Amino acid sequence: MRQRQCIKKGLFNITKEMDKKRIVITGIGVISPVGIGKDQYWESLQAGKSGFRPITLFDTLDLGVKIAGEITNFNAKEILGFQGLMDLDRATLLLLSAAKFALDDSRLIVDEATTHRIGVSVGSTLGNLHSVSKFDRESLTEGPRYVNPSIFPSTVGNSSASRISIRFQIKGFNATLSTGMCSALDAIDYARDAIMLGRADTVLCGSIEDLSSQTFLGFYKLKYLAGTKEKTEAISCPFDKRRNGIIFSEGAVVLVLQEFSDALKSNVKIYGEILGIGSSFDPSKFYKYNPKGEGMKEAMRSALKDANLRPEDIDCIFANANSTQDADAIETNAIKDVFGSCAYKIPITAIKSTVGEGFSVSGGFSTTSALGALQLGAIPPTINYNQKDPGCDLNYVVNKSQKKELSKVMVNTFNPGGANISLILGKFNG
Amino acid sequence: MNKKRVVMTGLGVVTSIGIGKDTFWNNLLKGQSGISKVEGFDTSEHFVHNGGEVKNFRAEDFIGKSRVKLMGKASHLAIASTNLALKDAKLDLKNIDSKRIAVLLGTTSGETQEIEEMDSTWVKKGKDAIDLWSIIQYPVSNISSHVAMEFKIKGPTRIFTTACAAGNYAIGYGYDSLQLGKADLVIAGGSDAFSYLSFTGFSQLGAMAPEKCQPFDKNRKGMLQGEGSGILILETMESALNRNAHIYAEILGYGLSCDASHMTNPQVDGVVQCMQNALERTNIKSEDIDYISAHGTGTRNNDKAECAAINKIFQNRRVPVSSIKSMLGHTMGAASAIEAVTCCLAVQNDILPPTINFETPDSECDIDCVPNVARKQKVTTVLNNAFAFGGNNACVVIKKWIE
Repeated sequence: MRQRQCIKKGLFNITKEMDKKRIVITGIGVISPVGIGKDQYWESLQAGKSGFRPITLFDTLDLGVKIAGEITNFNAKEILGFQGLMDLDRATLLLLSAAKFALDDSRLIVDEATTHRIGVSVGSTLGNLHSVSKFDRESLTEGPRYVNPSIFPSTVGNSSASRISIRFQIKGFNATLSTGMCSALDAIDYARDAIMLGRADTVLCGSIEDLSSQTFLGFYKLKYLAGTKEKTEAISCPFDKRRNGIIFSEGAVVLVLQEFSDALKSNVKIYGEILGIGSSFDPSKFYKYNPKGEGMKEAMRSALKDANLRPEDIDCIFANANSTQDADAIETNAIKDVFGSCAYKIPITAIKSTVGEGFSVSGGFSTTSALGALQLGAIPPTINYNQKDPGCDLNYVVNKSQKKELSKVMVNTFNPGGANISLILGKFNG
Repeated sequence: MNKKRVVMTGLGVVTSIGIGKDTFWNNLLKGQSGISKVEGFDTSEHFVHNGGEVKNFRAEDFIGKSRVKLMGKASHLAIASTNLALKDAKLDLKNIDSKRIAVLLGTTSGETQEIEEMDSTWVKKGKDAIDLWSIIQYPVSNISSHVAMEFKIKGPTRIFTTACAAGNYAIGYGYDSLQLGKADLVIAGGSDAFSYLSFTGFSQLGAMAPEKCQPFDKNRKGMLQGEGSGILILETMESALNRNAHIYAEILGYGLSCDASHMTNPQVDGVVQCMQNALERTNIKSEDIDYISAHGTGTRNNDKAECAAINKIFQNRRVPVSSIKSMLGHTMGAASAIEAVTCCLAVQNDILPPTINFETPDSECDIDCVPNVARKQKVTTVLNNAFAFGGNNACVVIKKWIE
């Protein structure tokens, strides 16, 4: 019924522009708490292996939460070599490593002939926070005349992205988008637009979050972390009745986006195609999701419209759900509204149960996991699910991976600050 | 794809030499300096003490009192400029589908004052004393969210942190968004609040002048930090003509490039590439450019590289180039947005703002920098340059409105 109303409103009557370019993903680099490199990442996700462990990067002191999605077996030197890593912060090392993987994977040639046609687009909001605080603290304790000026360039928001260009000699453009949980998909949107408009042929599209004591303390103080409230457990269990907050995690993702014809020419593997993106802002509440989920619905609807697809065309949803009470329930209701009767049939999964809430990198994690699901013909599970919540009653893929040939999937990221963005990926069939 | 014509129909600025485009423009033409002793924090331990703080700005004049304390100063400045720009464009948002309006902003530091507060409390009193609000207010995504929230906007909102080119990145993406039909109206620009961190950082790099900012002068001693915001209302020509809007100027397009060389040192090749991309993408020949609003920070390296790049593209033609940073200091992520406002007013009024504090010509900066006095001349097509940390360059081409 709802669906019919949508059609009446003309939502799906948009004809695809003839000259719209097809944009595909031809390289993947991922560094995550559940695996380094795409194969390990996909394998762990499908196996439902959790990436949470006690924090070792800093002293959690008397904080009530002591676990996070910390990446423990990461050694930048093994990936990047020994040269030129000295002044780089952790966020930058993670991002550069992911970029190296993605470049190798796509076999992209960066030389004088191509470099001006390659761009960099990165989503990062708090990636510079560690360096900002390091600088502040040195200034506060030693005095402003004694701060080490070599930290200063790392305090700007675009420092990590810029270092991709510097290290890999990429000269097209270099943009950083900082829209919280939407950062990663916003960066993909920017990259797609740049290719559409001929500003670049190829874009390295990244996202990043690092586990710093400042960020962790911030989420802790906001009581956003699981296990902060009394008598609650530090567990990430999206859609489960016991959900009580996020488990924060870190990581970096870099994807290589190209126009389809260029990918064909270079004969590289095509992991998937970007079919549509929709974004919206919900101005109703400050720092809380609108209980009615209007912005979420608008993002999903406009992504469908952009892809010229109907709700029943979507085979799986990679949810934003992060194990907080409001986010999971509001998204569930928004999906019901947008997908109508098919809402109860479409498999939905929340990989934040295994990789955690990566904030700026969360969209990168989800997109990469969706590309893996398209490749493997299997949906990674939402783990830790065991108590049903009447408010979350859709077809979640719980605890075990589900075999299913997928052709079109949706990825959601919704920021409590009001921004929402949905992405639709298609399996590449030539 | 057929190119749509994109025009600018509303301008809003908050700067150290004036709030609102009229005061700002009059003071620019007078060559008034907005530099004074820094009062926002103690500089007694620093080597330098001057900056371009906005001292007569009251957030309460633009934002409801209860909302003022929910946000940091960069958000205050951004909302104030948006308010001014929307009024200037005579736009009643009630008549426009809020889903078709985009907010695209740029900033360098965002609300670093809030994180400085958090770090300071943490160091001096321990982590338990940290105020929750300083944490909530910090993430830079708040700036675009606050603007969208204030004006009940429901379209795409983005914030670029591409350092000192962020404003131009945002304006450029606004142009693209209109081209791609992602929005019908774009609120684009940049905002940055005076930051202790940046002040200390530039001071420690030895990049700051002790007193005044003297771009292109032989004895220039560096940049000065400033703060402010600039917002432009972008729409398609059809939309502007339909509603009988006043059109300040047209955006012909823009070019981007990355030096891929050094975090803080600009490179001639990258800057040349950026200006060339801008000219090529807009089909404008270099001889058609009447004026360049320079990045012109007043540091030895920036001005030298920028002038070399300009001379490489414009050969021996002495195109007028001025830097309003001589008056405002470097307003970081807001700089290129405030300079875009300046470009709009220059093409509309056929006057070029000067580079003040110019005393001694420098053979390394062999350009016509419109020294000290504004110049009346025909101005049709202009370039707005911005070069950022990381070697990220963005150059926007703006033209007098001719239907």
